[in-house]
Amino acid sequence: MIRVNDRWDIPWQEGMTIEQVLVACHFTHHYIAVSVNGALVPPEEYARWPVADGDQVQVIHIIGGG
Amino acid sequence: MSSFEISKERIEALKAGHRVLAEFRYEPQPVEKGYAGQTLYVNVGTHTIATKPVDERMKRTFIGGRGFDLWLLWNAVSSDTRWDSPENEIVIASGPLGGTTQYPGTGKSIAVTLSPLTGVPIDSNVGGYFGPLLKFAGFDALEVQGIADEEVIVFIDGNQGLVQILTAPEESVNSHLLAEEMVALFGQTPQEKQGISSVSAGVGAEHTLIGCLNFSFYDPRRQLTRLKQAGRGGLGTVLRQKRVKALVVKYVGVKGDSNHPADLQPIQQVGARMHREIYERDPIMFTMRLDGTNHLTKIMNDYDILPVHNFRYGSHPEAEKIYSPHFQKYFRYDAPDGCWYGCTLACAKFAAGLELRSGPDKGQVVTVDGPEYETVAGIGANCGIWNAHDVLEANFYCDAYGIDTISFGTALAFVMECYEEGILNKEITGGLELKFGNGDAMLELLHQMGRGEGFGLIVGQGIRRMKQIFAERYGADPQFLQDIGMEAKGLEYSEYVTKESLAQQGGYGLANKGPQHDEAWLIFMDAVNNQIPTFEDKAEALHYFPMWRTWFGLNGLCKLPWNDVEPADNRVRYRGIEAAKVPEHVQNYVELFRAITGRDDVRSGDDLIRMSEGVYNFQRLFNLKMGQGTRQHDAIPYRSVGPVTDVEYESRAERYDKQLRELVGIDPTGMSTAEKRLALRRYREGQYEKLIDAVYKRRGWNENGIPTLEKVRELGLDFPDVVELIEKHSR
Amino acid sequence: MKVLVTNDELCIGCHLCEDVCSHAWYKEINRAKSSIRITSLGNAEWNMAVCNQCGQCIVVCPTQALSRDKQGVVRLKKELCVGCLSCVGFCPTQTFYVHPDYVEPIKCIACGLCTKECPTGAIAIETLPDQEIAK
Repeated sequence: MIRVNDRWDIPWQEGMTIEQVLVACHFTHHYIAVSVNGALVPPEEYARWPVADGDQVQVIHIIGGG
Repeated sequence: MSSFEISKERIEALKAGHRVLAEFRYEPQPVEKGYAGQTLYVNVGTHTIATKPVDERMKRTFIGGRGFDLWLLWNAVSSDTRWDSPENEIVIASGPLGGTTQYPGTGKSIAVTLSPLTGVPIDSNVGGYFGPLLKFAGFDALEVQGIADEEVIVFIDGNQGLVQILTAPEESVNSHLLAEEMVALFGQTPQEKQGISSVSAGVGAEHTLIGCLNFSFYDPRRQLTRLKQAGRGGLGTVLRQKRVKALVVKYVGVKGDSNHPADLQPIQQVGARMHREIYERDPIMFTMRLDGTNHLTKIMNDYDILPVHNFRYGSHPEAEKIYSPHFQKYFRYDAPDGCWYGCTLACAKFAAGLELRSGPDKGQVVTVDGPEYETVAGIGANCGIWNAHDVLEANFYCDAYGIDTISFGTALAFVMECYEEGILNKEITGGLELKFGNGDAMLELLHQMGRGEGFGLIVGQGIRRMKQIFAERYGADPQFLQDIGMEAKGLEYSEYVTKESLAQQGGYGLANKGPQHDEAWLIFMDAVNNQIPTFEDKAEALHYFPMWRTWFGLNGLCKLPWNDVEPADNRVRYRGIEAAKVPEHVQNYVELFRAITGRDDVRSGDDLIRMSEGVYNFQRLFNLKMGQGTRQHDAIPYRSVGPVTDVEYESRAERYDKQLRELVGIDPTGMSTAEKRLALRRYREGQYEKLIDAVYKRRGWNENGIPTLEKVRELGLDFPDVVELIEKHSR
Repeated sequence: MKVLVTNDELCIGCHLCEDVCSHAWYKEINRAKSSIRITSLGNAEWNMAVCNQCGQCIVVCPTQALSRDKQGVVRLKKELCVGCLSCVGFCPTQTFYVHPDYVEPIKCIACGLCTKECPTGAIAIETLPDQEIAK
């Protein structure tokens, strides 16, 4: 299981990347800050960065709002 | 050129109708460190014009903007004053940082009145040039009191030092014409025209309680006036009730040092740096310069936060039809869009080539500023009208008629649900089939509000009064109406679904003016990022962000440049909620405040927050003065908290069942939808009450939501009548 | 279109152009008031930063204070300028300059006075094909 934003549990698969986590969560927002176990991941790495079973992933949506 | 050119004959006719009812001459003085040092009082009933001094205590306690407005209004009204009493005022102010040209978002005015919808003060912020020009004309605020015997305009010439109340029998009432007339009347050269701004409403504001104010600015390239709105709370209704057609200010000669700042250099440095940041970052962040605030519609739909069918749902398969690309074909990018000099974030959008398909101007091809996200979400998504043209046409007529697009959209969504539930029918609506999606009926309803006839007059009363009317006249279940009628304190909700964000339920429910999002926007931080998990976290966020956002309204500033663009390294240098505060931009504002006012006792963001606490608590006390301002008035409709109907529950059954299991500790297996819905409701309503407790505690209020005497003394608000008010409520 | 053209490789960092410019237009020798800026890149290399008359600033100005004159040079009308500095932020080459003695920003108007003093011919006034004129 991957725990996302300390709220959602996403089933883990072999070879899972951050990009796949985002898809699984339906996170489509283009402006986010992602960290895995507290370490910030640059956006250009999302397609490659592996997530391990049990990882804590934080996906901060950056949005100014109303 | 404007689609509505003003002929020479028309100008002569307008002039012929003018009689001077009152005239006041003054010696224009330069602004000093952001303050003119006096306010202007105009009574259109007694024909009195006078100035009032601004002293140090007023500056320290109330700063400017909303603070000045509330202080002046507090002293003008009693607890018996109603929105349509002569004593009620419209008060408009910029702020000490307002009128700066170097930094984006420095042109806001803040307008305040006792709201026809709520009975307590509404404060509404608006772009356009009025507030800054008013200040440079010599006045930190304008109070308009009284009810005129005949239609008037108030004209302020800040170069000549002249204030006049003029009869205005010939002037148009609708803003799209009136704003052009004022510029044609009082301005000859392009510089003079740029130096004119008018505040006006429209015929819709005469027939409804949801009237808005339009603030104009002149676009020199396109040679026409554009309109921004002080939308909420019925300000336009009050203006027309006073028989004021327009408030007009003229001031020529704005320069980057018109505020006579203490130190120009930091202002130039931080301004140029901010423009560069917008140049580099806006295209990759939120595309304000391209799409304006409507870039939000797709994001809200993707995250199930877009209000659909009266806030029942958060998304819809047809939502794509009102995303930005469908509006881009109307937008023109050949001129700057900033609603004050130097706003390079330029979220205003100039739409042209709109051929009106309805109403008195049917067939005309017009221009309109818009649409904002709120208008698209409120009139489009919330009413199920997935049609960009109809949203833009509604935008045009709402502005022309002086009607708030948010209250119109949310009220209409309520009416449509009532129609679909059989509470209303064609007999009641006069033949209008007010089902979700019916754009024809939406437009006709709007024109009825303009004409002052038909079912439009009922809708124009707002949701709170409609709840009463529908229960009394049509036998509707009052509890059902209360649950689905999205208003709090009497004001319609703005356009975000808060069911999954307890913090935003509080952000709306605890706002002093009513559920307007300008006070706190915590939905993503709460429901998606999960950055404020505990009640204490939420209470802290509901302290910091409302206080921070209030600060903009004290200083004549727009909040968009604060966090709708951020420096490239913001998320690397800062983490968590600290990053959401955008510390570098907070520091910009500290520097601006110091540089303009010369107040070097202000050194950090905390000093700015402290300024807001006084005004915020004062506004709460003002609500108390008007007979509200306690816990019961912070109640919110259940549609903003959770699923009211079985259909709503079933639309998100998986999510709700999971929450029953994990949060409420109930196994939903074997339970009926109604049983599950009620169990969830009990839980969620309890959560809101706990949130209120935590927030009141953090704010230094008692359990009934009243600021304590200790808090009031701490904030320097212990005026005798304030102390008396609190003591009365402690007995 | 008349424009001041630079050749960084010829620049020796004598700063005479900056002195001539500020003196001509602001009556004092003060490089902080020059329309051309010479900065060291180390290794005896110099960067010459000055307006290339691209005209991208014209459409950003809210008061139409920026426009091309008959020779295609982008000129700032001070009487129309409100000092918002939008042009400074949006200049692609970052060659508008700001000094707190003035509300209006500073830019090169291709007068050519600096070219007469440059000892190495690193700067010259040239007439280039007209760019599309932004209104």
